[in-house]
Amino acid sequence: MEAKGSFRDGPQPAEFRSRLRLVLAIACLAVLTLTARLWYLQVIRGEELKHRSENNAVRLRAVQPLRGLIMDRHGEVLVDNRASFDVLVMPARDFQPQTIVQKVQEIYKTKSLEFAPDQPLPAAIKTHLPVRLEKNVDLDKVALIETNSIDLPGVYIGVTPVRLYVDGEVIAPIVGYTGEVSKDELDYGKGDLLPGDITGKTGLEKILDPYIRGRRGNELIEVNAFGRVIKNLGRIDPVSGADVVLTIDANLQRVSWEAFAGLAGAAVAMDPRDGSILAMVSAPSFDPNLFNSGIARDQWNQLQNNPLKPLSNRVISGQYPPGSTYKMIVAAAALEEGIITPETKVHCNGTFVLGGRAYRCWKKHGHGPVNLHRALVESCDVYFYTVGRMLGVDKIAQYAEKFGLGGLTGIELPHEKRGLVPTKDWKLARMKEPWQQGETISISIGQGFNLTTPLQLAQAYSALANGGTRWRPRLVQKVISPEGTVLKEFLPEKTGEVLLSQKTMTLLGQALWGVVNEPGGTGAAARRCDADVCGKTGTSQVIGLPQNEKARRSMKMADFHKDHALFVCYAPMKNPEIAVAVIAENAGGGGAVAAPIARKILDAYFEGKKQQQAASLAGKGAPAGT
Amino acid sequence: MVFFKYDRRIFQNFDWTLFALVLCLCAIGVVNVYSTDFGLGENAPQLYLKQIQWVIIGLLLMAVTFLIDYRAIAQAAYVIYGLLLASLVYVAFFGHVANGAQRWISFGFFLLQPSEFMKVALIVVLARYFDDHKSREPYLLREIFIPFVLVLLPCVLIIRQPDLGTALLLFIVAVSMVLFIGVHWKSIAIAAASALVMIPLAWMLLKDYQKERLLIFLSPESDPLGSGYHIIQSMIAIGSGGLLGKGYLQGSQTQLKFLPEQQTDFVFSVFAEEWGFVGGVALMFIFVSILVLGFRIALHSRDLLGTILAFGVTALIGWEIIINMGMVLGMLPVVGIPLPFLSYGGSAMASMLAAVGLLMNISVRRFILQH
Repeated sequence: MEAKGSFRDGPQPAEFRSRLRLVLAIACLAVLTLTARLWYLQVIRGEELKHRSENNAVRLRAVQPLRGLIMDRHGEVLVDNRASFDVLVMPARDFQPQTIVQKVQEIYKTKSLEFAPDQPLPAAIKTHLPVRLEKNVDLDKVALIETNSIDLPGVYIGVTPVRLYVDGEVIAPIVGYTGEVSKDELDYGKGDLLPGDITGKTGLEKILDPYIRGRRGNELIEVNAFGRVIKNLGRIDPVSGADVVLTIDANLQRVSWEAFAGLAGAAVAMDPRDGSILAMVSAPSFDPNLFNSGIARDQWNQLQNNPLKPLSNRVISGQYPPGSTYKMIVAAAALEEGIITPETKVHCNGTFVLGGRAYRCWKKHGHGPVNLHRALVESCDVYFYTVGRMLGVDKIAQYAEKFGLGGLTGIELPHEKRGLVPTKDWKLARMKEPWQQGETISISIGQGFNLTTPLQLAQAYSALANGGTRWRPRLVQKVISPEGTVLKEFLPEKTGEVLLSQKTMTLLGQALWGVVNEPGGTGAAARRCDADVCGKTGTSQVIGLPQNEKARRSMKMADFHKDHALFVCYAPMKNPEIAVAVIAENAGGGGAVAAPIARKILDAYFEGKKQQQAASLAGKGAPAGT
Repeated sequence: MVFFKYDRRIFQNFDWTLFALVLCLCAIGVVNVYSTDFGLGENAPQLYLKQIQWVIIGLLLMAVTFLIDYRAIAQAAYVIYGLLLASLVYVAFFGHVANGAQRWISFGFFLLQPSEFMKVALIVVLARYFDDHKSREPYLLREIFIPFVLVLLPCVLIIRQPDLGTALLLFIVAVSMVLFIGVHWKSIAIAAASALVMIPLAWMLLKDYQKERLLIFLSPESDPLGSGYHIIQSMIAIGSGGLLGKGYLQGSQTQLKFLPEQQTDFVFSVFAEEWGFVGGVALMFIFVSILVLGFRIALHSRDLLGTILAFGVTALIGWEIIINMGMVLGMLPVVGIPLPFLSYGGSAMASMLAAVGLLMNISVRRFILQH
């Protein structure tokens, strides 16, 4: 019946008939091939494979790759790898984990060592994968296991690479830490992770994980009835991860860390010419080496519950009132908006009264008549109360945002905070209340609702230093393969422009130079013999102080109510190449506490530069630090 | 168009042979899945019960695709295709994630895998397209551009899940259909040549680490920790079955869980271990019979639509069998294609039974359609 019909259009059934014959022939041929293969496996090799199935002894062993190194800008290794020894057992037939554990415990007892299982043994043992009994054991145990291997069938020492953070605490806020892959990562990963793999958990270890993780290798082995390896069936070598070169200068990083000497706080040094971060420390910090083979619960709780938050990176997620460092921005706004001229004078008698409330200058008896330059140099509050009130909160906010405050800087690290630049609209939306004039007064000296991160301050002052360009703060220079080819280069990126007139820039620069170098300047502690530092001190109140003098005194007793000390600066004045922002928490005045820290960082930077120049003159370009 | 008109000829000419063969395979599948459960004792997940449920759901779906005139189904082809494409987009954003792949829509008590249904929907939509654009001449390259896009969209979404195997299968089935309908030999040559040129060219433009990541991304199963072990254990399981097999529930590879993915992609290894070469050949015979019946339905259809549709469905079943068995027998790379009617998996079972419903639909309506 098939041939008698014909379709109205299109190809004819007869054509299909021949094509279908061909298709069927191909299909039959494929099935015949499969059948032949089945014959080969089941009949020709049947006996052999049956034998192999009876004492199935093929096992799989993962070979973990080396994670890429993390180096500073001169190639000094900050994060390396070291060997960690685990006690593993390859399950044999009738595998009883409990008996093996007992045997291991007995052997440990002979040398009075404790068996410390890191986790309960899995309920269902996968017959082809090794089971880990204990991880990261010391060499005593390694020796004990190896010498008693006859009594411990299937037990062996596995060597896996783990991270070695050379100056753990110093770099922890930048690099983060690694750990064993979590359930979430297994489910949501790209499918190339397996239990037992190591991944980056925070910081650059996490962000750069795809580059530095490398690729797991694999060993297929045959074991005998006792779980001992008798034959290697094949091995695929692991591929090491790519190395990372940071913009960080290791020496400057260490100096910055040491400068805090027990204080809580943060410092960041940045190259204003391209946004490269030279140093970034947050104190107190933590030792990322603790996380390598799973951190102990009580250690974790200690870190978590510490009120000083050692796990957070204050440079990007610490939000502080900027205090008087904000005056640079208010000054810029007032000049640009034509509200003041450099000559405009305000008389400071120590208080500023508005709506029946007295706002104090930090200098009890006042500065007398001051112009903009003196007001910045001596950090006169009354001057800025006056100017700030004339500007209004929204104009101040407009300039703060130009300088990048209240927004993300775009640094590579996770958990960056925006800070806060308050406006009238913001308050209405957030608190359902209109803006109060008195709040503008607080805002003009960087108090009140204002919040900034140290990184934002460094970026803002860098923009002033370099003539108005906001660069994205950059930690990573490049990723290079273990063979040395550059896989990815991270170039400087402009994120915005601060358009100020040349006149304003010069005026502000001169004033900031005065803060450090003129008599009466609040930042004298940062003065260097080259007289090349420009900066601004800040002291930010942690809580609103009561008007009552007595009550105020009694409150100052508590340590955590003490002021935060801030100092932001750049140097040298002509062609600046480093900007530094320092905050010391609950430490007191910015000029007294923060400025000396900044000075140590600046000194170390210029000292390092001098040495490098000397070395390159002597050694014809041999890089320093190697 | 009337969706369903009762006609006693539908039941008089019912294709009992095809139906019986498919039911037979489903039964073998359930029995086989039971065996993979068996060794686990009390903790067994009792997948065979779920498998029975899915067979029943699949049979209901089959009734629908059988009773509604396939020309009416083809009328709705673009709507069905669009809905499934939308569900693939949904999966890409909100899909349920398991084992590093995002392939499912979760309905709480069960998971649906739209890509399985897309296999059938794509065949219907391609059949509809070529039925709308009939030509006595072989098609030229530009005439098959739209079908190409129709294939490409779901393929891209499925590769992203990532599920290279299913995407590849969609593509192969679509190419088979287009070649079957007839393409000018010059067009074939140009397409083949440009593919041959493009692939190495695109490959050369990539950097080393990109290539490496692409390879891992495209086929996670190529991971050394996965396939080498799978294949060895699968071959040991099959080979150890010998001529007559170890007997039902006696397969040591299966019962001791040496065999990975034994309910899903490697289900044939379980069968071959317990039923031996004899069982394996019997299974192959049933598969070949279904293919022969499918191609006969394509040949005897009264219209072009039925011919293309029947060919597409049969090609899908055929390719799945060949790729899955080739993979399990260690002749093809491990790409994750299930064995039709035997592998555990609800969406695959339901969509394959729906596809068979289409076949029987075309088969029975050749007695009803008049020119």
